[in-house]
Amino acid sequence: MKVSQIAGFLGSGKTTAVMKIVDELMKRGHKVAIVVNDVGEINVDAKFIESHGLKAKEIAGGCICCQIAGTFSETLAKLHDSYNPEIVIVEPSGVAIPWGLKRAAEYSEAKADMVIEHAPVITLVDAMRIDLLMKAVKRLVETQIREADVCFVNKVDTASPAAIAKTEGLIKEMNPRVEIAHMSSETGQGIDYACDLIVNRISPRYDEAVEEELLKKQYKG
Amino acid sequence: MTEMSHIDRVMAALTNEPGDRLPVYPIACGVNRRFVNGGISYRDWAHDPKLYAQAFIEGQKVFDYDFAIGLMDLSVMAGDLGAHVRMDEQNTPFVDQHIVNSVEDYEKFEVPDITKGRSAVLLEGTKLYCDALKNQVITSGFIEGPLLALSQSAGAERLFMDMFTNPSAVHRALKVMTDYDIEMVKGFAKTGCAGLCWDYLWGNYSCLGDAEYEEFEGCKKYAIGLNELTIKEGMAVAIHNCADLPHLDTQIKKFAPAIYSMAYYPLIPGSPSASSVIEGGYTDKTLVGGQVDPQLFIRAPAEKVTQVVKDLCQEVKTALCKRGLNSPKYCIASGCEVPPDTHTKTENIKAFVDAGKQYGKMNA
Repeated sequence: MKVSQIAGFLGSGKTTAVMKIVDELMKRGHKVAIVVNDVGEINVDAKFIESHGLKAKEIAGGCICCQIAGTFSETLAKLHDSYNPEIVIVEPSGVAIPWGLKRAAEYSEAKADMVIEHAPVITLVDAMRIDLLMKAVKRLVETQIREADVCFVNKVDTASPAAIAKTEGLIKEMNPRVEIAHMSSETGQGIDYACDLIVNRISPRYDEAVEEELLKKQYKG
Repeated sequence: MTEMSHIDRVMAALTNEPGDRLPVYPIACGVNRRFVNGGISYRDWAHDPKLYAQAFIEGQKVFDYDFAIGLMDLSVMAGDLGAHVRMDEQNTPFVDQHIVNSVEDYEKFEVPDITKGRSAVLLEGTKLYCDALKNQVITSGFIEGPLLALSQSAGAERLFMDMFTNPSAVHRALKVMTDYDIEMVKGFAKTGCAGLCWDYLWGNYSCLGDAEYEEFEGCKKYAIGLNELTIKEGMAVAIHNCADLPHLDTQIKKFAPAIYSMAYYPLIPGSPSASSVIEGGYTDKTLVGGQVDPQLFIRAPAEKVTQVVKDLCQEVKTALCKRGLNSPKYCIASGCEVPPDTHTKTENIKAFVDAGKQYGKMNA
C-alpha cells in the first residue's frame, strides 16, 4: 500500500488539490482512499467523497509521538483490511511533521499483512501568500518544505511571475535538494504531474537504521 | 545507600540531596485503565472520576512507579469550552470540530463552570487518586496551558495564522483561557496534589521563535503568572513538553519548574538529548525527566526496552557526574505519555520500571 502525503499550510489550496488528484487517480483506474486530520475540511467535500465512493478516514488529534502514531497506523491497517486501496492520500494538518507520519504509517505493517511504500512527500506552497506565510508561520512552513521531496508552488495562475520566483527562491534556500514544480489546483495545472509522481516514484522509508546508528554513537555502542 | 521510599527519592532529587537511584516514571496514564475491572474503555475512564482515579491506584500496585501524574487527555478544556470531542471506545479523545470559524469567534469564549463537564471529572478524580496515593508517591495533577487549550479549541493552523494577522483577538481569547486555568489551579489546589504539571506544548522552535513564544505564552500575564499562582496555591510547578525543539531556556531557566518532562528526536538536528540537557545546566535546579521513545512500549520487545533504559541510565549518570551533581536529578521517563493504545505491551512498562530501578542506582 502506497502512502502519499500532501502537506501545506492552511489556505495553500491543499484540499482542492487533493480532491483533483484523487479524481485523476481514480480516472486512471487506481483504488484510492483518503486520510485527513481536519474533519472540518473533509466535511466540506463530503458530497465529493460520497459521489466517488471513496473511503475517507481521519487522523486523531494529539501527539504524534504517543497518540497519532497509534491511531494513524491503526487507521491504515483497517483501511487495508476492509478496502485494500493501492494508494492512500494523506492530507495532514499544517502543524503535522511529515517524518512522524511516515514512521507511523510504517507501524501499520505490524497490524496488517502489508508493506508500506511512500510516494514522494508533496508540499504545496501558496505563491500568493508567501510573504504573509514567512512572517506568520515561518518555522512551520520551513519544516514542511525541509521534509518535502517535491514542492509545488501553488496558485501559479494568479500569482505574479515575481511572486512565483520569490517562492521558488525561498524553497530552494530551505531545501536545496527539493524538486520544484508548479500547480494551480483551481485550473488543474500540475495535477497530472502530481499523480505521475505519486504513482511512479518512491520516497525513502523513515530511517530507523539511521536512528539506531545515531543512538549507538550517543551511547558509545 | 539503602533503598529510599518513592517520596524520599524524589524529594532528594528536588532538593539537590544524594539519592539511592534515579527516579523512574514512564508517563503511564490512560494505559492504566486496563487494570480497572479487567479493562475499561477510554470513554468510561475519562468520564467517571472513580474509574479515573482507580486506574492510577491499580497502576501503582502493578508497576510501583515513583510518581502519579494524572493526564487524562488534551481535549478536556476545549470540550468544556464547547468544542466537539470525539470519544472512541479505546482511542484518546480528540477535538473533531473546532469552535473558531472566524476572528469574531475568539470573542465568544467564556470560562466554563468547572464543577461540571470533564473539568469536574478531572478535578474530582485527581483528588481521589491523590488521597489514595499521597503517602506512597509524589502526586501531581495535569493541566493544559492557555495556548494549548486555545489551539485545541480553534485549531492550531488557524491559531498560528491569527497570532500574526489578528493578535488582539487571540490575546482576548488567551485571557479567557488563562482565567479558566486560574479556576482550574484553584480547583487542583483543593485535591491535595503535591504538584501541578503544565502542558506548554507550543514552546517549540519548530513552531514559534522566542519573541512569539514570549508574547503568546511565556510572559507574566500567561505562563509566568500561572506558575506563580500554582506555587502560591501550595503546589510545585512541573512542565511537560514533548516538542522536538523545546524552548529550554524559557521553560526551564526562566520558568524554573521543579520538574520538567521532555522528549528526544534523534533524527531532528538540534533536538536535545539527555546528556546535552544535563551538560547545558538545565538539571542544576530542575529535576528533568525523559526521553525514551513512547513507541517502544508498543513496538519493541521487552529486552529492547531494558537495553534502552540501561543505556539512558548510563548516559545520564555519566553526564551528572561530569556536571558534579551527585543528586539523582534526572528521572528515567518516557518522552511523552505511554501510548494508551490497547496494543501497548504492559510487560514493556514493567521492563522499563525494573530496568530503571536496576541500572539507575547512583553507586552502580
